[in-house]
Amino acid sequence: MRLLVVDDSNIIRSRIARIALHPRLRGLHVVGLARNGVEAIDKAAATEPDVVTMDLTMPEMDGVACVAELMRSHPALRILVVSALSDKATAIEALKRGARGFLHKPFTDDQLVDALIEVAD
Amino acid sequence: MSALTAAEIKVFVDAVIRYFDRLTGDGAVVSASYLADTAIPRSDYTGLITFSGRFRGCIYCSAPRAMLPELLAALGEPDVSEPNLLDAVGELTNTIAGNARSHFGDGLEISVPVTIRGTSERIRAAVRARPYAIVVRWRRHDIAVVVDLERE
Repeated sequence: MRLLVVDDSNIIRSRIARIALHPRLRGLHVVGLARNGVEAIDKAAATEPDVVTMDLTMPEMDGVACVAELMRSHPALRILVVSALSDKATAIEALKRGARGFLHKPFTDDQLVDALIEVAD
Repeated sequence: MSALTAAEIKVFVDAVIRYFDRLTGDGAVVSASYLADTAIPRSDYTGLITFSGRFRGCIYCSAPRAMLPELLAALGEPDVSEPNLLDAVGELTNTIAGNARSHFGDGLEISVPVTIRGTSERIRAAVRARPYAIVVRWRRHDIAVVVDLERE
């Protein structure tokens, strides 16, 4: 499966890409990294991912708007929101727009692996 | 003037403690917390986030340079370049501010973090009178978390 990582933090993008190499995620490989929602839409069109990890608080286009846009153009996409925003309303809104899961920052490696397995399943 | 209650201050303290505990396995402890009515604490690298929506104010986390390569290493990040040092303190601030919405709700709108090297006056200018300062010790480093939050 093809993974697109979307986050405005370079550290988080790199960390998720490293965790994606975990043996339990064999079969998942990173096809792109994006720094905001606008880049994510471009990279999704270019790389045709199956799974996306999506931050919410980003410049240019935020994650909730990006989830909605990506689900319109790629309805089969499986999106895992990875965000520090910890209120229920935000999680519900992201799920309403089409995200399949929500993982709160800060997350451990194992928590991300479990969440990716669940979303990709 | 800070309008934070003790319970609200605890929201931010808990978020900082959780950040270091979950990501590094090395617990952080609060070494001081006080109403900063004379001077606000600042260090080498700062992440600043402003609040809007039903609240106004800001939060910033300010960390010594020596701490940030250690934090990056704990996160498994080998690149300790200047942009990543700034990114580390920005992401710390973003996580603490975002986690605070578990208590304050989605009416607490948060900006993307602005990161600053040095003790810029931009930090002083962002903070109104008498914010709340929390000093957290992780390993041997002191990180200042300064919260200025008021309901509209």
